[in-house]
Amino acid sequence: MQIKSEIAGSVWKIIASEGATVAADDVIMILESMKMEIPITAPKAGSCEKLHVSEGDMIGEGQLVATLKI
Amino acid sequence: MSEKNQPEEHAPWEKEIDEIHTRRKLAKQQGGKAAVDKHHEKGRLTIRERIDTLLDTKSFQEIGEGAGVPEYDDNGKLKDFQPANFILGFGQIEGRKVIVGGEDFTVRGGSPNPAGLRKSVYTEQLALKYKVPLIRLHEGGGGSVGGTGNDKARRPLGDPVFSESRFVPLAETLSSIPVATAALGPVAGLPAARLVASHFSVMTPNAAVLIAGPQVVKRATGHDMTKEELGGPQVHLASGAIDNLAEDEADAMNQITRFLSYVPDNAWSFPKAIAPTDKIDRCEDALASIVPTSRRQPFQMRKIIEMVVDQNEQGSSFFEMSRKYGPSLITGLARLNGESVGVIGNDCLYYAGAMTAAAAQKMRRFVDFCNSFHLPIISFVDEPGFMIGPDSEAAGTIRHGTAAISAVLQSRVPWACVQVLKAFGVAAQAHFGPDAYMLNWPSAASGALPVEGGVAVAFGREIAAAEDPAAKQKQLEDMLAASQSPFPRAEGLSVHELIDPRETRPKLIHWLQLALNARTDAPTPYLTGMRP
Repeated sequence: MQIKSEIAGSVWKIIASEGATVAADDVIMILESMKMEIPITAPKAGSCEKLHVSEGDMIGEGQLVATLKI
Repeated sequence: MSEKNQPEEHAPWEKEIDEIHTRRKLAKQQGGKAAVDKHHEKGRLTIRERIDTLLDTKSFQEIGEGAGVPEYDDNGKLKDFQPANFILGFGQIEGRKVIVGGEDFTVRGGSPNPAGLRKSVYTEQLALKYKVPLIRLHEGGGGSVGGTGNDKARRPLGDPVFSESRFVPLAETLSSIPVATAALGPVAGLPAARLVASHFSVMTPNAAVLIAGPQVVKRATGHDMTKEELGGPQVHLASGAIDNLAEDEADAMNQITRFLSYVPDNAWSFPKAIAPTDKIDRCEDALASIVPTSRRQPFQMRKIIEMVVDQNEQGSSFFEMSRKYGPSLITGLARLNGESVGVIGNDCLYYAGAMTAAAAQKMRRFVDFCNSFHLPIISFVDEPGFMIGPDSEAAGTIRHGTAAISAVLQSRVPWACVQVLKAFGVAAQAHFGPDAYMLNWPSAASGALPVEGGVAVAFGREIAAAEDPAAKQKQLEDMLAASQSPFPRAEGLSVHELIDPRETRPKLIHWLQLALNARTDAPTPYLTGMRP
């Protein structure tokens, strides 16, 4: 399952590591956008297969940030 | 009169009466068994099944059941009958009269045959005449290059110059009666235009809404895309052309029913209140702590809305519309002590709740809708200002935003504003209607610019010259944040009340009762002038 960012901003903090198990609504990473910390959460439980961005990266709306294995 | 003669008296019309029944039967066959089976195989209902799902049992009163394209043999006897591929009629939803219509996809893929076209353009005229809510269930293409299937040699081409455009009543419906529509399969051309000429629209996951289909697009522009890629839900929920996604057809009908429950039959009546399902003085403790003290941390505005508006057996009375379009603004309908209200709120999870061009257009449309159907507006405010940056400038945000402000300040419905957190810049004006009832939470902060943006600009030199610039900036930000406090505004009666957030619901309900009692003008359609 592809996780895309709905907003533009920068990657402030990555929380989940590749291979880690995530529950639904777990925070995968936190973006900084308009001076606020905006979490990106797992829509479903699974494992974090791949992270496509690193801390500090600027990302755009609709950009793929992580792939989950459901 | 002898008994023997009686059958003869009735006999003269029996043939014709039989033919009426035959034709009704033929009309019910729609595009024929094969076409109906094929439609079902795709997991879709026929238009007649859809109407039955939507309406109260056995309430459908069809209009123009006998309209269609007949085929006669040499003796003038009816051989076959292709029914009009637009089904139309009156019915009831939760006991209320409505008019409903939709294309029959099983006949010519919903692309209008002559009788179908006539019925479809009559829909809006009927709805306007009888002033009842209109529901259109769309699935079908528009006109084809080959026309509506008439024998062109035997008919005059085009509509007469003196005929009224079919788009006149289509446009008029929006200021006169509630219109709810659904896209339940591919919808293109004229049906797509009619789909979006609505106050509320919903689409199923397998629906696609298109100006023109893939083949036409490929020839004209070279884009090789499927109809789902061109106009599927992921495109049109974000484009704002369609308001909501439905899980399936049944959910689409439920959402339409739910939408209609909040609005009056027409613009000449007020929305009807229902028996309250919730306590007036329900004060949720969670409201007191939901807004974080750190300005960097977001919170869930939807949870605030749901805690304040009426709760019922199904959960919350809040019915959100257009969630994916302009998502920094939340819009929806709800009940407050049984009364219908429009609700708006900022969602800080999207660009801190800033007003984008899309959010501004969403705001203007929603406020005009509330004014059209006399819905008081409850505004939950956390507005940092217009979205800034190159994309926002390129989108013309300033014009759309100013149009939204104009729509808000030209409102004629009662407004109540709960300032939860931020109200900054010009865009904040779009959250406060004229003569609004103003409540502030202790977290409320107002000013020309948010602290974070404003301090670095206004005190740039001072910060750069400081020994510890970061510490200086923080000191200035804290000082400025204190000056944006709501207490001085309460002292100066710039707001009606500074409240404990837990009191929000009872305060709003008491105000709403006063505001509704004070209405003296009879409800009329809402017509507005030019906006930016």
